[in-house]
Parts: sequence; C-alpha cells; structure tokens
Amino acid sequence: MTEKKEYDVLVLGGGISGSESALNLAKQGFKVILVEKDLSLGGKMIHLSKVFPTLDCSACITTPKVSETARHPNIDIYTFSEVRDIEKLNSGDFQVTLVQKPRYVTEDCTGCQLCEDKCPVVVNDQYQWDLVGRKAIYVPFSIANPRIAAIDIENCSLCGACEKVCPANSIDFSQVEMQTPIVVKTVIIAIGFNLFDPTLIPRYGFGKYKNVVTSMQMERQLVPTRPFNNVLRPKDGKMPDNIAYVLCAGSRDETVGNPICSQVCCMYSTKQAQLLMGALPMADVTVYYLHIRAFGKGFCEFYQQAKGMGVEFIKGKIGLITEKENGNLLLRYEDIESGNIKEAEHDLVVL
Amino acid sequence: MATINPGFATELKKYGALDFNKCYNCGNCTAVCSLSTGDNSFPREMIRFSVLGLEREIQKSTTPWLCYYCGECSATCPQQTDPGELMMSLRRYLTSKYDWTGLGAKLYTSKLWEFGTIAFLALVVLFLFVFFHGPMTNELTADGGVMLNTFAPWQQIEIGDLLMGGFLAFFLMSNIFNMYLKIIGSQKDLKIPFKLYFSEFWKLIVHFGTQREFSKCDTKLEQKKPALNTYWVVHWFLMSSYVIMFVMIVAFLGWFQTDNIYAWFHPQRILGYYATVGLTIGIVYFFVQRIKKSAQKSKHSHVTDWTFLVLLFLTTISGILVHVFRLNGMPQPTYYMYVFHLMALVPMLMIEVPFSKWSHLAYRPFAIYFNKIIVAAKKSK
Repeated sequence: MTEKKEYDVLVLGGGISGSESALNLAKQGFKVILVEKDLSLGGKMIHLSKVFPTLDCSACITTPKVSETARHPNIDIYTFSEVRDIEKLNSGDFQVTLVQKPRYVTEDCTGCQLCEDKCPVVVNDQYQWDLVGRKAIYVPFSIANPRIAAIDIENCSLCGACEKVCPANSIDFSQVEMQTPIVVKTVIIAIGFNLFDPTLIPRYGFGKYKNVVTSMQMERQLVPTRPFNNVLRPKDGKMPDNIAYVLCAGSRDETVGNPICSQVCCMYSTKQAQLLMGALPMADVTVYYLHIRAFGKGFCEFYQQAKGMGVEFIKGKIGLITEKENGNLLLRYEDIESGNIKEAEHDLVVL
Repeated sequence: MATINPGFATELKKYGALDFNKCYNCGNCTAVCSLSTGDNSFPREMIRFSVLGLEREIQKSTTPWLCYYCGECSATCPQQTDPGELMMSLRRYLTSKYDWTGLGAKLYTSKLWEFGTIAFLALVVLFLFVFFHGPMTNELTADGGVMLNTFAPWQQIEIGDLLMGGFLAFFLMSNIFNMYLKIIGSQKDLKIPFKLYFSEFWKLIVHFGTQREFSKCDTKLEQKKPALNTYWVVHWFLMSSYVIMFVMIVAFLGWFQTDNIYAWFHPQRILGYYATVGLTIGIVYFFVQRIKKSAQKSKHSHVTDWTFLVLLFLTTISGILVHVFRLNGMPQPTYYMYVFHLMALVPMLMIEVPFSKWSHLAYRPFAIYFNKIIVAAKKSK
C-alpha cells in the first residue's frame, strides 16, 4: 500500500459528531476518510441509554447514523486506526500518515462469536466499563459497527483455539501495523472527550470501595444492552435502594486541574435519577450538588420534573466517603442550607 | 442587626489571610475536617463571615480556636481558597481583638512596631544591667562554678520577675475577660445556668494540660480512631517544657538560679534538662517544618510566627550557654551570655504572652471552655 491516497476531508473520530459531519459532507459529494481509534464506530453515544431532556433512546439515534456512514460510497472508514504527523503542504493541503493497528482478524469475520466461546482468557470488558468480563478475542459489543472480532493481543495467550474454531478462517496472527501516507484538503477534529479518572480523588474511594461507581457504569446498567438484567451494585449484586449521586466529582476542582464546570454532569445525573425511578421504583435517589446548572432548552423543566418524581436534591459537596462492613457507604458533607455537618448512608454511590 | 465591614478582607490579609473570596460555598472544607462536628461546623461558616465582613459574628465565635490546622481543608479545597490559613489568620485577628490595649493589632500588622518593641525592651534590659549589675568577679565558687549571683543577685532579678509576672498576668487576664465578654457576654438570647461554669471547668484544665483536641486533629476520618500525631507530641513536649521553665524562673528563681552545682539527678537539673530538651526539639522541629513547607500548615508563615520561634530559640540557646559557661568556671562569658539571655527572654515574654502568638496557650483552652458552656446551655434549653 504505497500509492498515495487523496481525499477532500479527513474526519478524526467516529463518534456521533464525526459520523454526522462525515455524512453531511459525503452527501454533498466530498470524498471523506473517517478515522476512528476504537474498534467500532459510534463513540460514547452508542453506549448511552437516553438523552436529556427528551429521554429519546440514545442508541436509536446513533446506530442508524453509524450504519448510514458505514454504507455511504463517499466515505472510507478506518477503525482501530490513528493518524500521525499532520503536516501542511505548500498547496494548502495536509499530508497525513494513517496508522492502521492490527486487529489480527480479517474482514472475512462474520461476527459469529464462536471464537469467544473457545477463548480461555477473561479480562475486564472496557465497553461495559469493567462491570463484567470479556474474552481476549471479542466482538466489541452487540451493536458494534463493523461487527468484526478483534484480538486483544496484550492479554492473548496465543493458544490458537480461536484459529481452530473460526468457520470463516479469518484469524490472522501475522498482521502488522500499517502506515499509509494520505493527502487531504481539510481536517475535522471530532475526537470527543475522556472521562475523568476518579482515582485522582482518593477520598471518594473509587477503586477501593466497590459500590462507588462512575456515572458511565451506571449508564451501562440502564441501557437495553446492559450487562445484568437489572441495576445491581457491584460488591454483592444486591439491588440498591438508596442511591447517591455526587456531582462536581472532578470538575470545578482546582486540585485535580479541572477548574471549570463540565456542563453535563448535572443534567445526566438528573436523567439517570429519573431513569432509576423507573428501573427501581422503590429506590430513593439523592443528588448532592453545588449549583444545579440546568442551562439549556427544557433543562430546568427536566430538573423540576425529577424533583416532582421524588428525587431528593441536597446542596453540599461530599467531602469524604467511607465504607461500612456491609458495603454501604457513609457520605460526609456539610448541608449548606442548615450549615451543619451531616453523614448520610447510601448503598450505591455514583460519581 | 448585623453590621458588615466591606474592608474586612483587606484588613484580614495583613494577618496572613489569602484570597478567601474565591470560595463558592461547597462545604468541602467542613466535611473533610476531622474536628468539625454537628455542634460546631467549621471552617466554611468562618469563610462566609469573613467574605461578608461580619466582624461581630467572628468575634463572638469560638470556632477559630477549635481548629488545630491539619490543613486537610486547604489541600482539598476545590477553589484553593486555603480555609486553613484563613482560620489561622482569624486566630491572629482575634488575638489582636481580645487585646483591649490595641498593641496586639499593631504588633501583628506592622513590622516596625513588632521589631521596634523587641529592640526597645532588649535595650531596656541592657541598660538596667549596664547601670545596676553587680561586680563581675573572676573568682569561682568552691566547686568551680561561676558566682552568677554576685553579678546578678537572684533577689533583685526576682523583683523584676515579679513585676513582669504581674504585668503579664494583668494583661493576659484582662484580655481573657475581654474574650469572655465578646463570646459569652454577647449571647443575649441564651440563658446560661451559673452551675455550668463549674461543671465545665474541668474541661478547661484537661484541654490546657493535654491539648486533647489537637491529638484528634489530622487523624484520617476513615480510620475512625486517632492516630499518633507527631505534631501534637512535639507541641505538647514543647509546651510542657515551656511551662516548667516559666514556673521555675518566675516562682522559684532562688532555687533555679543558684551558684551551687548539684548532682545530675537533682530535681533542679532534671527539670531544667527536661525543659531544655523539650524546647530544643520543639524549636528545631518547627523550624524545619516551616522551612520545608511540606505540611499544609507550615506552608505559610506570618512574620510573627518567625519572631516567636527566633526569640524562643535565642532564649533557649543562650540559656544553655549560660549553664555550660557557669559549670565550667568561665565567669566573663557567663555574665555576657546571661545579659543576652534576658535580652531575648524579656521581649519574648512581654510581647508574646499577652499580645501575640503565645497567648493561644490561654485562649485555646478558654475558647473550648466557653464553647462547652454555650453548647451545654443550648442543649439544656
């Protein structure tokens, strides 16, 4: 693959914004190359349950868009790929090095998942945010696009069991990283975001206390493709009935280098609280906030609606989380309305 | 009605406060504090008062004295407003407000006053010795010691001692009374049963003697039990040494400042050595802490913190040298060092005891005592 490829547009990132921009440009006749570093298109949004404030199904918005992107003749898609060295040429175009990482599975894969049954290695499933396990050879997730398996070579034991069982003969351990130079006229950067690493706030005990989960882990438990068929707390698989949301965990906090508001955690927590009211009708949900930033169209109504549904909102930042022997968590905070220090017990905490 | 002082932030900065106006009232500081309780939630309350400039509310409050500055609030404050340092500067501010003479405020806010007063007092001591000292004899006592009581007879020093003691006691006690008026006297709508003053009195003694609250400071809340706190141990050692030394020189000078050379196990020497070791370890430890700045509480040092440490250091080191020179029969160095010793000691006591940092030795236990009375009175109501 030494021939020089030329495109009108390079879109970096195959999430919802990358797909949308690629699709819009392709429909106008531009040749688009879409580069996604992950194994599948869809980005973060394909993993979400509902969107706020309309509570539309998130995957139902993303999957048709992703399929359309994948099928469009003007779009070339490279998953599990990255770009290196974007350089501006004298002509005004950009010279880009496209790096395709090896999946060790060719495109002949039918997604039958027989290899997954045979693979002996079990590791955490990053697409379920470590709530459950997956095999070292795996189809990323059920609605992945392309629906092709990949081998996680770092964890693979190279036993060759998948190679024996594969009906399409698509396992290829000889794949290597490929670098291709391409020339593009313009670049769209749609690389999305990284989630905050909650272990940077040790006093919240994420990683140490199993019943402290991230909002993404909670989100996964609320989607149709969820790992358990219910909302369960990780430590003992009990159905939680008193859930706490800790807002501003990692944002508006100079000590972790994020002094500004994420502008999203108020609203997705409100959304999850409403969904939990449906998923666990008997559960109490409490949201600990600093200021509710319901700034968009329909957001404030959405917040009021959550209050009306019985979600409790308490003003005060959680200072410290400690674990009890039964796995419940004690949250220490100052109740700003009364000015008194309080300690509340919850059986599941979402950061 | 509450009166606000819009210039309060500017005033408090002179006492060492940083930019506490950045606070967005999340209450994180209160929640991570190991001493904050349901009855006394701090430090956010104090930050709010300071931001609003509610001076009377601050002066009415005992909470700045309940904080022993572990620095957890400052380390975890999302806005980096440094609540711990604010509490520290409020203690300096309150010290100057309890002092009705106004000298405390001058010493805290003006370096000219601070160093000027020290120099003035040191010179007074020097002049007194220049004009009134006894013969600087080179003769030695029978066991080879210096005849210090010929140069500076303890009976005469004792007169100065008692005068100074009376001065210190008068100002410190009147300041404590002023503190009482500000804290308990202002509780207009709270009826305080008289017997509480007696039933809570033992807490004053306990907290003075043990600084029990300090030992609970900086314990990790998730452990739920106090861990041994080096800061508290060193501080207690320093404080007990200081008290022993103070009592010996003010009340028992005739016994302490002797020309006899006792055996090493004599109580006079044992107590003296205990105090010397305690003071030296304490001073070195706090010096190192303030220079290293690794602990949150040692990151910011006000000029008065250094003054206190330096004066205490000079007093201790010169005291040790007087002892060494006297025992080894070196008359002239003993006399000069003795004068220098008093030139450091007198300003240290005169300035620090009633007007400055030293006074926390009295204010802290009294604040806890007053606080217990108020809490008990509220509960009985």
